[in-house]
Amino acid sequence: MRQEDISEIWFEYEGTPLKWHYPIGLLFDLLASSSALPWNITVHFKSFPEKDLLHCPSKDAIEAHFMSCVKEADALKHKSQVINEMQKKDHKQLWMGLQNDRFDQFWAINRKLMEYPAEENGFRYIPFRIYQTTTERPFIQKLFRPVAADGQLHTLGDLLKDVCPSAVAPEDGEKKNQVMIHGIEPMLETPLQWLSEHLSYPDNFLHISIIPQPTD
Amino acid sequence: MEEDEFFGEKTFQHCCAEFIRHSQQIGDGWEWRTLKDSSEGYMCKTHFQIKSETLMSHSGTSACVQTCLPIEEALELPLDDSEVTETTTGSQVIKYEYHVLYSCSYQVPVLYFRASFLDGRPLALKDIWEGIHECYKTRLLQEPWDAITQQEHPILGQPFFVLHPCKTDEFMTPVLKNSQKINRSVNYITSWLSVVGPVVGLNLPLSYARAASEDE
Repeated sequence: MRQEDISEIWFEYEGTPLKWHYPIGLLFDLLASSSALPWNITVHFKSFPEKDLLHCPSKDAIEAHFMSCVKEADALKHKSQVINEMQKKDHKQLWMGLQNDRFDQFWAINRKLMEYPAEENGFRYIPFRIYQTTTERPFIQKLFRPVAADGQLHTLGDLLKDVCPSAVAPEDGEKKNQVMIHGIEPMLETPLQWLSEHLSYPDNFLHISIIPQPTD
Repeated sequence: MEEDEFFGEKTFQHCCAEFIRHSQQIGDGWEWRTLKDSSEGYMCKTHFQIKSETLMSHSGTSACVQTCLPIEEALELPLDDSEVTETTTGSQVIKYEYHVLYSCSYQVPVLYFRASFLDGRPLALKDIWEGIHECYKTRLLQEPWDAITQQEHPILGQPFFVLHPCKTDEFMTPVLKNSQKINRSVNYITSWLSVVGPVVGLNLPLSYARAASEDE
């Protein structure tokens, strides 16, 4: 290819442009969970799909996007108090820990984002997004408390029943969908607070895929 | 849904309804769009502007003066442009779309916008930037919390430019406190949009303010 023909790089799988700002594991679960690894995707250097994809001009854009998700998650969990109390160098450490795959460096800061006041039973609201390829909306995100008024912990099943009832089969019905996080199907009885603390992505969100049950 | 919300989704929808009522009275073009099977929705407006480019020097260099005229004014210009001293290379119609959505994470409204030529080609941020008045440019550069970034529209899933919402309540709280003090009601959306709109080329006729103070 000639240098002048090359414009912004972008990736695609089976005709679907891949959103770089989504975690790679989420993209795989949503689009290709039944395929064997390694995941084969197509790299493009021309015809950037302006209507579908955000531009990614630099690594700084990725950092900015990551930090904006972390801030939004903290707005939900702690009214932004924890993230705002941190210094710029702590934010930088979070990003660098992720970028350089330094688990301890990342968690030294991230653990503070996973704490909550002793008198509470969990976060204020749970940061989550539910994705389904069958809907027009890119994702569902709503306010949802981890603890009910009576003090009972809400479960993954409670969340789905409330914000995405079509995803869960009726009790006597046949299971139509898989509810997947990080490539596994957690039990619907799992407390949402626990999932948020232990199964969130680095951006502190629970990215949940609803995919059709494989027929094999 | 939540009683402890300062500006909850219901209040957002109520303020938008009042705002649109006035918009319809003056033909300002704002509409409400609801989501299928949901009580959620957002406010949107599309307008067209003629952008005429006058080049001071060879294209490709940075000296480029543009005048943006609303279509109604442009049509009133004399067809004989012998008074124009610079060379006009051509004019193009730009379609601007403005969407006002509610952010449940920050519990404030958020302004999404994009611009494109009539053939669908999108304008880059730097082209939109050129249409912004000087005084707002300085403010944007000084206060990064007003930063404009490209983000995925949470309902349409397409790239839009967004004015970051995390500091909205900082400038809105004094407005609302003051309105309570002088006992004059204020429409949150009207006040908010009159602050953030002009920064991205969206102006509100003054009659919105008078309408807001009449609604009790």
